[in-house]
Amino acid sequence: MRRWAILRDRPGALESVAISFLCIAVVFLLWWLLTAGPVEKRVIDPITLPSVSETLRSFPKLWFDRALARSAMWSLARVLGGFALAGAVAVPLGVLAGVFLRLQSFLKPLSIFGRNIPVAALIPLTLMWFGLGEVQKVMFIFFASVSFVFFDSVNAVQGVPDSYLDAAYTLGARSSPRHGFRWALVMGLGYGAAFATMFLLLVNRPLATDAALRATWNVHLVFMILLGVVLGTALWFPIVTFQAIRKVIFPLAMPDIVNSLRLLFGLAFGYIMLAEVINAEFGLGAIINISQRQGPREHIYLALLLIALLAFAIDRAILSLQRRMFPYRQVGD
Amino acid sequence: MAVKDSAPPSSFIDLPPEAPAVPGVPPIVEFKQVAKTYSPGKPDEYTAIRDVTFRVEDLQNVGEFIAIMGPSGCGKSTVLRLIAGLAPQFPPSSGEVLLSGQPVPGPGPDRGMVFQDYTCFDNRTVLDNVAFGLECRGVSKSERHAASREWIQKVGLHPTKDALKYPHQLSGGMRQRVAIARTLILKPRIILMDEPFGALDSATRQHMQDLLVSLWREVEATVFFVTHDVSEGVFLGDRMYIFSNSPGTILHQFRVMPPDRPAATMLREKSGQSH
Repeated sequence: MRRWAILRDRPGALESVAISFLCIAVVFLLWWLLTAGPVEKRVIDPITLPSVSETLRSFPKLWFDRALARSAMWSLARVLGGFALAGAVAVPLGVLAGVFLRLQSFLKPLSIFGRNIPVAALIPLTLMWFGLGEVQKVMFIFFASVSFVFFDSVNAVQGVPDSYLDAAYTLGARSSPRHGFRWALVMGLGYGAAFATMFLLLVNRPLATDAALRATWNVHLVFMILLGVVLGTALWFPIVTFQAIRKVIFPLAMPDIVNSLRLLFGLAFGYIMLAEVINAEFGLGAIINISQRQGPREHIYLALLLIALLAFAIDRAILSLQRRMFPYRQVGD
Repeated sequence: MAVKDSAPPSSFIDLPPEAPAVPGVPPIVEFKQVAKTYSPGKPDEYTAIRDVTFRVEDLQNVGEFIAIMGPSGCGKSTVLRLIAGLAPQFPPSSGEVLLSGQPVPGPGPDRGMVFQDYTCFDNRTVLDNVAFGLECRGVSKSERHAASREWIQKVGLHPTKDALKYPHQLSGGMRQRVAIARTLILKPRIILMDEPFGALDSATRQHMQDLLVSLWREVEATVFFVTHDVSEGVFLGDRMYIFSNSPGTILHQFRVMPPDRPAATMLREKSGQSH
């Protein structure tokens, strides 16, 4: 016990986990104490806080009647889609802004604006722009995270010391546009395919009976493909052309970029509530919203627990991947 | 100091500021009244070097070893970075920096540089670090890896055991060996070394000095070596430039007499005296 009072005394791995479980035990004990006994004699009434056993007993209902697994998948897919889009745009743009400082100055106002508007304000905005469907939910996550991904990518690139760049130059790193264009085009085609896939998944094809709607849909699809190809090529061309970026700055900034993506993904996953506040058939956020209005209240607590557990599992998965990808870079928790 | 004892004054010859030119061949490096001033006209105006003039002749297949010495912050590094063509020191505020008669175009692999801080690329193995310059040139993988292994061995690392290690698994001295190997593999005409052994302990430093001398004989380049360690400068240099306090300018040029015995022997004597 005396070791709890020693500054920076590191507990062993097992001890550390044990202490963490102690915290969980304390929380559940408090919960149990506050909700123990018959309904009338409880410290907190069951409407405000159901007891531990009541909550756990409602789990089968949540799993079967409310399709928990499918809801979780829907939520995950929405966040993943919006976040992947944000990463696809903001990571290369951030890398470029981190090395081309005039581009950074140019984009600074947008970045500051994007990071400081209240996230909840994006709900009415995205509803106006993208309607009530799945597009709105994905775009909400996109807009909520894109400036943060950009900002962190810029910082990761700027964290690479100048001396690496000096070394690269004195070793002959140059720019080779012809070689670069080939790779940029490959990236562009990849972006085009990804954008098309996303569009096909999110926007249903109108019925053949409505020729006008269908024509518009086709135009939109072609536009998305072209947008992907142009965007992908334009963003990646400078990165692959300049050997100093492709071979030195980008790979050296990569561990920090992936690390910040991991942290930001946790943040974006937390926004799922807001994304599913309107017109969501499935989703963990939708479960919470509906349970708050119609009950059972137990499902709110269960869904919250589940969101946290899922986010934690994803975080650990990315972390272990990160450690395998960048063995030369130790990342903390 | 140990150096003054081991090197009697007669082995220094004060040179005239400009050595006689080899007819027909322009000097490999020439500074003409070079000055560098940062943020001129502003309150934080700072002059790093002023009125630096020297010329180093292009001695075919030999090359000279020039030690640049002076107090901290006197602009020694500025001189090196001006030759390398690295910003923000490059371009100079006034005067001319010429390479074989031509103004410096910017950084290039013909002027290799070894830095004081460890600049091995963390994401690359030793093998790929050493092969970096060849990779930029577009040399095929098998070819550049073969050359890389050869140089890894030359700088005293193990060509199979160490080749696949990452820089974070190496000691400071080993990292500088990698930095030297990746510079020399490109066979530069000029090698710029900015206190490359400054962060190493004295035993490692002596090993590295010995290594450098033996490798230099092989590559036959003109070397500029910045140091503030007098014994290191005398041990390595053919010629020494002594810089003044800031703003830096050349106070003295010396020629150090060539050693009459092998470097390893001298090194042993030197370490014997300093302990």
